Parts: sequence; C-alpha cells; structure tokens
Amino acid sequence: MNAKTIKYYLPPILAAALLVHSCRLDNYDAPDASLSGSIIDAETGELLQSDVINGTTIKIIEHGYDPVAPQYLRVKNDGTYANTMLFANVYTVQPDLRNFQEIDKQDIAIGKNTRLDFRVTPYIRVKDVQIVNDGSQIVATFRLQPTTSDVVDKIGLYAHSEPGVGHPIHQVAAEDTLNRQVAEQDTFSLVIDAAKHTALLKAGRAYYFRVGVLSGFPGAKPNYAPAQQISIAP
Amino acid sequence: MKRIIFLSTILLIPALLNSCRDDVLDLSPLDKVDRGIILTSEEGVRIFLANLYYQTPFEDFAYNHTGFHGALTNNMGILHDAQCGNAVNSEANFLDPGAPSWWEPGYALNRDINLLLETIPTIEALSNDKKNELAGEAHFLRAFNYFALAKRYGGVAIIREYQPYTPAIESLKVPRSTEKETWDFVMSECDEAAKYLPPARTGNDTRRATKWTACALKSRAALHAASVAKYGSKAPLSGEAVALGLVGIDAALANHYYELCIDASAAIMEGGAHRLYKPNPATAEEAANNLLALFQDPNVAPEEAMFCVGYGDPGVAGHSIDFWSNPSQTSDGAHHPGRVNPTLDLVDVYESYVTPGQSAPVVTTADGNVNDYNGYNRSQTYLHFDTPYDIFKNKDARLWATVILPGTVWKGATIRMQAGYIEPDGTPVIEAVKASITVNGVAYHTFGADAWQDYSGFDQQHADVMTRTGFSFKKFLSPVPVEGQSALGRSTQDWMEFRYAEVLLNYAEAVVESGYSANDAQTKAKDALNATRQRAGHTTDIPLTIDNVQRERRVELAFENKRWWDLIRRREFHEVFNNNIQKALCPVLDLRVAPPKYIFIRKHIIRAVPITFPEYRYYHAIPGIGSNGLIQNPNY
Repeated sequence: MNAKTIKYYLPPILAAALLVHSCRLDNYDAPDASLSGSIIDAETGELLQSDVINGTTIKIIEHGYDPVAPQYLRVKNDGTYANTMLFANVYTVQPDLRNFQEIDKQDIAIGKNTRLDFRVTPYIRVKDVQIVNDGSQIVATFRLQPTTSDVVDKIGLYAHSEPGVGHPIHQVAAEDTLNRQVAEQDTFSLVIDAAKHTALLKAGRAYYFRVGVLSGFPGAKPNYAPAQQISIAP
Repeated sequence: MKRIIFLSTILLIPALLNSCRDDVLDLSPLDKVDRGIILTSEEGVRIFLANLYYQTPFEDFAYNHTGFHGALTNNMGILHDAQCGNAVNSEANFLDPGAPSWWEPGYALNRDINLLLETIPTIEALSNDKKNELAGEAHFLRAFNYFALAKRYGGVAIIREYQPYTPAIESLKVPRSTEKETWDFVMSECDEAAKYLPPARTGNDTRRATKWTACALKSRAALHAASVAKYGSKAPLSGEAVALGLVGIDAALANHYYELCIDASAAIMEGGAHRLYKPNPATAEEAANNLLALFQDPNVAPEEAMFCVGYGDPGVAGHSIDFWSNPSQTSDGAHHPGRVNPTLDLVDVYESYVTPGQSAPVVTTADGNVNDYNGYNRSQTYLHFDTPYDIFKNKDARLWATVILPGTVWKGATIRMQAGYIEPDGTPVIEAVKASITVNGVAYHTFGADAWQDYSGFDQQHADVMTRTGFSFKKFLSPVPVEGQSALGRSTQDWMEFRYAEVLLNYAEAVVESGYSANDAQTKAKDALNATRQRAGHTTDIPLTIDNVQRERRVELAFENKRWWDLIRRREFHEVFNNNIQKALCPVLDLRVAPPKYIFIRKHIIRAVPITFPEYRYYHAIPGIGSNGLIQNPNY
C-alpha cells in the first residue's frame, strides 16, 4: 500500500471510527450484585465438604424473563460459594446437584453482598476420621452416619497434590464398593500403599488425602471429610 | 449548445436506467436449481441423492473432533478412538468433546430429505415401484440422520414435513420430542426404508443403501437405545430435560429395544446376502493377512462390506489416515506421521490363543504382576526375550493386523520402537535423552538406531512423530506408499460404515443383555460371538457372556469409531475415564546379559495427564436455545 492509497482510505476509516464509536454495549447496569454463602450441616454446624467438579451446584433463576436460562453456581470444596457478577434482581434459588437432602426453593432479592447460607442434612456424615502414615502405607479409619435409609454405595480414600482432592480429582484412589446399609458403630478402613504408586506419590513429598463416601440415593454426590496433608515417607 | 447536450444527457440517464423490472424480487436465483428442474426424472433424483449421501453423518475416515468431512483440516491426527482409550495421540492429551455438533447440519440435511420425500410422489416419469424405492432410500438417510441426532442430543425435534418459508417464525418452531419418541422415529424410518429398498445393488449403484443396510442401521440404533434404557441410571442426570423425558429412556423398555436389535440383526443373518469374509483361516498368520486385506480394500469382500463410503478424488475428497498414522519410519513424505499410538490398555485386551475367553495382559515380570505402572524397578525380575515382539506370541491375529508391534516389519522397514537400555552396570537409561554405549565392541543406541529417521518411538526430542506407547498403528493403512503424501487428503481406501461382523456382535450383545431365548437365540448368539473369533484364528469357542461380547467388540471393531459410542451408550465412559492415565509398554534392551535381550516395562505414558469424563457429557448441549426456544440438556 503506497502513501497515496493510504491518504485515500484514511479519512473514511477515521470518519467511520468516529461515527461508529457512539454506541453503548447495552442499556443494562454492570453486574454489581453478588450472592455468597455456605452450605452448613444443620446438626453439627460445620461446613459441608463438596467437590468443585461434579459437586454441589446452586441453581438460580432470574425473575422477569421468559424464557430464562437458569444459572448454576458451583460450590467450592470447603462448602462455601460466591458469585460476584450477578445483576441485582429477585431470583429463585435452590441447590441443584447435592450431597445433602433436598431443600425448598426460595425467592431472594439479590443486591450488593447478599449472603445466603443453607442449613442442610448431608446424606452421610463422615465421622471420627483418622489418617495416619504407617511406613509407606497411608491408612484412613472412620465411621459413617447415614441420614437416609439408602445403602452406602462406596467409600474411598483419595490422594492428590492439590487440596481439591476427591472422587473427581485424584492421582491415586483406594475405593471399596459397599452397596449395603451401614451402622453408626461400624468402623471402616482404607489403605493407599505409596510404595505401589511410586510414579504418582513421590517419596518425601506431601499430598492431600481425603475420605469420601457416596450414598446410594439416586443422583447423590459424594460426602467428604476435610482433606489432610501428609508427607510420603522418604 | 454544449449545455443542451449535457443537460439532455443527464435527463436521458434516468430514462435509460429506468429499465428495472418490477418483478425483481421474484427472479430465480442463478446459483440454485429449482426442484421442478432437477427432481423430475430418476437421473435427477439420483443426482440429488448423491448430495444427500454426501451430507449424511457417516463417521468415516474424514470424521474427527473437528467435524465431518474433516480430512483436509489439521486435526493433529487425533482419531476418534484416540479419545476413548484405544490409542493416545503422540502430542495431545485432552479428551476432546469428541463428536462435533450435528445440530444445524442435521436439520439442513433433514430439510433436503423432506423436500425429496414431498416431491417424489409428484414425479410423473417414475413408476410406483421406483417411487417407493427412492422414498425408501430417503427414509434410510433420514433414519441415519436422526440416529446421529438422538445419540448426541437425546430427544430432538422431529420434523417430518418440508416446512415452507414463512415470516411467522413461531409456526416453524418444533419442540423436542422425548428421547423414546425420537428412537422410535429412527426405528420406524428404518422399517420404512427396509420395506422397499432392493436387497442388492449392482453396477454404479453399489454404494447406495440396500434393505440390509437399513436393517444394519436399525440393529445399531436399537442397541444404542436399549443400552441407554438399561444403563442410563449408572450416570443419573437431573433437571427439566430429564423430568420431561427429553433425555433418558425408561429402564423397562430396554428389552423392547434389545429385541428390535435382535430381529433386525437376525433378518440380515438369515437373509443370506452377507457373511464374514474368509471365516475359516488355517492359521493365525493367514487370519491376520485376511484382516489386513479386508481393511486395506473392502472391495475384496462385498459379502462382509455391507455399505462403503468411497473417496475418489485424492487431494480434494480423499482422507488422511496414512498421512497421520504411519510410524515415523514409513511416513513416505508426510510431515506429521506417528500421531496414532495404540495403548497398552487396548493391547492387553486381545486374547491369547492359549487362554481363550479372557484378556491376556502382557506379562513382563517373573512375578506376573501386571498392575505396576511405576516404571523400571531394579529389584524386579524382568522376563527376557530375544526379539521385541516375542512377548506377543500367541496373541490374537487381530492384534497383529491392527497394531504395528515393536521390531516387526511394515512396508519393508523394521519398525524400531525401543525406549532405552540397561547399561551393563545396571544403570537404566529409559525414555531419556538419546545416548549410545559400546559393549564388547558393539555400539548400542537408546532408541534402537543412531539417526532419528531410523526409529519410530520414545525420542522426546522428536516427540511429535514418536510413539509414546511402544505401538504404532496399522489397520486400514495402505501397504504401498500413497502418492503425494506430503499433503493431506491423499488416501482413498474405502470406509466400511456397516460390515457384517458388527451385526453379529450387535446380535450377541442384545441376546446376552436381554436374556432373549426364542428361536434358539442363545445358541445363535454364542455362534455369532465365536464367528468373528474363528475368523481371527481361534479354535476354542467361548461362552456367551457380556464380558466376552464386549471384549470381542472392542478388538474386532477397534478404530472403526465404535468405541466412543459403546462407552457412551453403556454409560461406562465416566467409569473408565476417572482420572485415567493411559499405559505404555516400553521395550528396553538389557545389556547386562550377553547377547543382549529385551525386557519390557509396563508404565504410565510419558507426559501423561489424568483424564476424566464428566457425566453431563453423555448428552451434548443443544445450540441456539435462545432463539429456537428448546429445553436445554442437563448441566449446560
């Protein structure tokens, strides 16, 4: 392109740029509302552990639109959640995918820093968890407290280098399919032998270990105890 | 005077230009042909049908994660089977969404099919028989199209009529039917097709659907629907689409669909038109050669190849299987060979002739432990072998016909896939930087040769063209160099979209899953299961169990783009791919012994990323719900 053609094309391009630069993106205010809170075990008052992937989601439906696509908020591993980019409005809110018993939907006016905690009953509580390092073996013992009459589908001990460890994210897992009712006094034990996974669990390094349990309730997501960091024996 | 001329010229211009017609909006476009011209004779319909076949979503050589007809796109050589465990790509680890969207092209094709179906009765030049036959062909294509939609989206909008354009957009919108209604539509379209399609085609029409093709489609689709009904609860979904039945099928209907599969398959098995190609080989070696020939050119086996997709025009409408999939040593000028690395996971599944009826994992150590993937261990006692392929002795002929094993000959070259050596002092050099060592006056190289052009595996300096599993790809590949292979799309081997072996295995699966026993089905299903095994050189029959059928299906149909859908329909994808790391078999030369011998290390592939299949992906997202108003699938 020589100087002459540039001279020829430049004015219309500049004019176009000036003229086009008049429009606004849309007529809405920026999303300045937020909804955050926790999923709390109503009985123990503790945060309810979950998964980021394939874990608890909260479905929110904005009022005033039809049809309207629901939005889904993901709950973090520790049981807290937050969406800081919502439009202020009334929403119908209800946890969707869950590892706790269903709770009713509620209509909430969401504005700046709206907080909403859910007090729930987990399908299964994981109690008295002890994870110890016995030589190369990481041994988890625990008890289970189901809150429904469903069978316990399976239990698992999961290991990963990141704290987000669980059934969806693990490097090594020791799982046991129970598919039966359990009693509160039953003690369960799961073992990961690091010596059999030297490529994935490197000696001398620390990994997160977490006990999980899946209820047989259709569509249930796993319940967990908090993750613990443990170093593999060198 | 000058001014007068000037003025009159100016006045004349509007007069002259005022030539436009007031029917300008009714003019026929010059780049389209009216149906009154093309759809008036059998030849015209034939031309129209050729275009419909082209649009039909056959999952052939040109099908991959970038779309249909993707042979000329750079898809990194990621075969469909490399996204579901049968192979890994030499470079990429990701589990792609796999099947591309088939929504808009699906409804575009459906519109064209509906136009044909609407027009056929009005074509005076056609006899009634011919009209029925051509309509049958359209029904086959519509069945195939709706099968492609149903297996991706579940229940979809069923549009049976050609919709005329109207500004009243709302009147054109068709809501989703349930998944059950959609599968039932596929079933009835297959029946409509089978009713009038001819049992055989000759001459230039051999690539067109027959009655048996329609039955084979019904067999495949019914098995899919039955599996979703039976196993859907393994991956439960929730939400509006589930509540309305738009995805998911009542488990009580599983046997209904299994029986539809049994009936459609039995019709082919009893029809006599199709059978297995060379069903009784004398030796395993002969079996391997037969199978290689079948896939290199399906035209040798019209009895088995029920429906083929052809690629007549290299560089334009060819495909690229040879371009991506050859080992590096036999790239024949292709710039990006070596992309398809069959996994140890697949190789393990092939039976041994010595232990029929079970997978035969490759045993590498004296203690027989096949579950240790941690890499070389000095304290372990490894078995020694004279060649890099002795360890596969007695494995199924189909392994040899599907996969290039280390040290075997392909296109005249010994394909070297060696991961390293153990130095005489016991130091392991495995999957490491290229090195050499001289022992007793002989030079040894980590990867089996000095120059990287002379080997095909494990060298991470040329990682893109090197196998990282210890295996290379063989099935379908041309045994002779493909002309002009430095470019994509030069291969022209035909693709078998339907072949008789699949029908046998559909039948066996439907019978064992449903427990169906009428018409001596249990015996026939056991025979069907063993027929493909006998063709592969097995001499001992195995019982009809679901494990045996699934193993047989995986090895017989490997790389035929079936495994992805098998994992989907049986809801096994999230179980198989749950933080799954795929496996390699590393051949290593042990220089501690004289003469040096080979040992093998079972291990995780190098540069591995654990792969997880999220359960919501059992269904695809429906595009454009903002405008088409349809109910979205769960979790999108």
